[in-house]
Amino acid sequence: MTETTEHTRRDEAIALKVTDLKKHYADADTNVFDGISFEVPKGKVLVIVGPSGSGKSTLLRTIAGLEPIQGGTIALDGRVIETGRPGNEKSGRVKRSEELRTKFGMVFQSYDLFPNKDVLGNITMAPLLVQKRKKDEVEREALELLERVHLADRAHAKPHELSGGQRQRVAICRALILHPEILLLDEITAALDPEMVHEVLEVVVELADAGQTMLIVTHEMSFARAIADRVILLADGRIEERSSDAEEFFTHPKTERAREFLHSFDFVRHRSQQAEQDLEAFDAS
Amino acid sequence: MQGANILLEPGVFPRLLQGLWVTIWIAAVSVAMSVPVGLVCGWLMTLRNPVIRFIMRVYLDFIRIMPQLALLFIAYYGIARAWNWNLDATGACVLVFVLWGGAELGDLTRGALQSIPEVQHETAYMLGLSNWQAFIHVILPQAVRRLLPGSVNLATRIVKTTSLAVLLGVVEVIKVGQQIIDANRFQYPTGTLWVYGVIFLMYFIVCWPLSLVAHALEKRWANDRND
Amino acid sequence: MLDWSFIERYAPFFVNGAWMTLFISVFGIALAIITGGICAAIQTARIPVLRQIVAVYIEISRNTPLLVQLYFLYFGLPKLGFVWSAEMCAIIGLGFLGGSYMAESMRAGLQAVPQIQRENAYMLGFSRMQTLVHVVIPQAISVSTPGFVANVIFLIKESSVVSAIALADVMYMAKDLMGITYNTYESLFMLIVTYLIILLPISILGTWLERRFDYARR
Repeated sequence: MTETTEHTRRDEAIALKVTDLKKHYADADTNVFDGISFEVPKGKVLVIVGPSGSGKSTLLRTIAGLEPIQGGTIALDGRVIETGRPGNEKSGRVKRSEELRTKFGMVFQSYDLFPNKDVLGNITMAPLLVQKRKKDEVEREALELLERVHLADRAHAKPHELSGGQRQRVAICRALILHPEILLLDEITAALDPEMVHEVLEVVVELADAGQTMLIVTHEMSFARAIADRVILLADGRIEERSSDAEEFFTHPKTERAREFLHSFDFVRHRSQQAEQDLEAFDAS
Repeated sequence: MQGANILLEPGVFPRLLQGLWVTIWIAAVSVAMSVPVGLVCGWLMTLRNPVIRFIMRVYLDFIRIMPQLALLFIAYYGIARAWNWNLDATGACVLVFVLWGGAELGDLTRGALQSIPEVQHETAYMLGLSNWQAFIHVILPQAVRRLLPGSVNLATRIVKTTSLAVLLGVVEVIKVGQQIIDANRFQYPTGTLWVYGVIFLMYFIVCWPLSLVAHALEKRWANDRND
Repeated sequence: MLDWSFIERYAPFFVNGAWMTLFISVFGIALAIITGGICAAIQTARIPVLRQIVAVYIEISRNTPLLVQLYFLYFGLPKLGFVWSAEMCAIIGLGFLGGSYMAESMRAGLQAVPQIQRENAYMLGFSRMQTLVHVVIPQAISVSTPGFVANVIFLIKESSVVSAIALADVMYMAKDLMGITYNTYESLFMLIVTYLIILLPISILGTWLERRFDYARR
């Protein structure tokens, strides 16, 4: 595991700190991950990239509390909120207080909204039921959020009337209205049609600019490059390379594994660049 | 309990089994005759002619809305008299079950045929198969798979509904049971409990394997569908 | 063709019969819903012993005819000391039979709700009860409604069997009338009309209900 230009200022506030995380499934011999540690400072974006099956989504889910860990600790805002215990593989979702769960905002890959409510209802449900806030205040904030994602005019639409990209943007609002300390995004554009990916990622970039702390799993490389403050390459359940200079990581990766991984994206770009050159040559003749 | 011994009286069990046989016979004949009726109905329901489709629709809806017992009464007391048929109670039962089973089977067939994606017909066409070949080799096998679980389920329902035949006077298993109870009323006062209990069990023994088969078929072929 | 004076004179009998049919049906269906709900809850929550008992109950009630169940309740149980009125037997019989059908359609509804919806509710901080009430059940209802409607219609039709234990429902009236008078066609005609009057509106109501809860269509 190599570290490239690690700038960790000790006085920087840390939103999420994960130490020595271990996870394996009950009936499997291999570990999903074995000893993962990293920090996400407040207001920064950490992007996790890696090949399929490397455990990226599972890592995010364990931090969210959707799956148990068998070793290591998770600390939010300086306080340890969970400690791994061997033998709890089958225990399902972790018992956390409502307050703790709302400190994490999660957006999933499948853009399922609650079909029985309209857009506004979807967003306002949790703050009303869980945080017990006042209806007008919640609705006002919901509309503001919808404004930010350019969907204010669809406040009363039903989920099935919206496209995947629109639903995903609503899902982001639904998570944000609870004022989470950190936003967890799990491959949120992987299931979308290509033309809708941009509108969703645009929203995420705006959130990052506004200072939202985020932990993102994605395979959209140009997006990762644009938004990441820190990058982690996860492969075979281990951190192969980490960096707090995203540009450096994407252009000059230090490890062989990282080079291999990034090259797989380069290849396509290389081919299309070649095709462009060929086309120019043809036009010129 | 002493009352259980009614079942051990000579002749009781054989008679019950005979009655059960009548029940099974009625159901089997009805199911067998429902098949051609059902296939014809199903074919009629997929035709484009709106008049035919409307008639089939009314027929299906009427048969489904009326309680089976009412249909039995209508067939036995009404239709047979009106058209001067010499229909005995058993015949009336079979008639109603065939009309009902045929309608339900027809609807199942229609559903099965219509649920086969258009792309299958198109593929067959592109491979050069004639309409008839396409039907036999591509459409029919797939239709049968979607059809079978529902059909076996229908057969189970028909078996259960034959119990209503006793109300028309047919001497099937329930009637036999009642005769036994009456004949042994003094010797076995609690005979009612045991006889009806056994009849209950007999229906279960006949129907449950059928529903297991339907269930197994459904599971086995559920993954074959790539829709 | 039909003797309309006869029909006019005896129509009130069928009205009374209709009331009896509805009475038995309403309570039988209510019992079926309660039984079915409890069974579906047990099966979804996977409670160990109860789950198997529910499975056995469902298999038994779906594979035996209502008539035999009624005879058993009405003629058989008194021998054990349980003497219930015919109405009671009818309601219990209908509830027993209907319970398994309702359980199946409710369970299918609950299981059709994608796991991700529960995970979303978790991340949004909902308690287990809140998740059930605000997220799972509304979506389960959407899936269950067609089956529920079909079950209601099925049970109302099955109620015709209670005429066999001498309850004066529509079927009983028709049978009785045909036995007393010679106007078979008129009696059968009224039989058909009465059932149509009861069941057609319910069928239409059912279709409306299905559409109301089909969130993807409205």
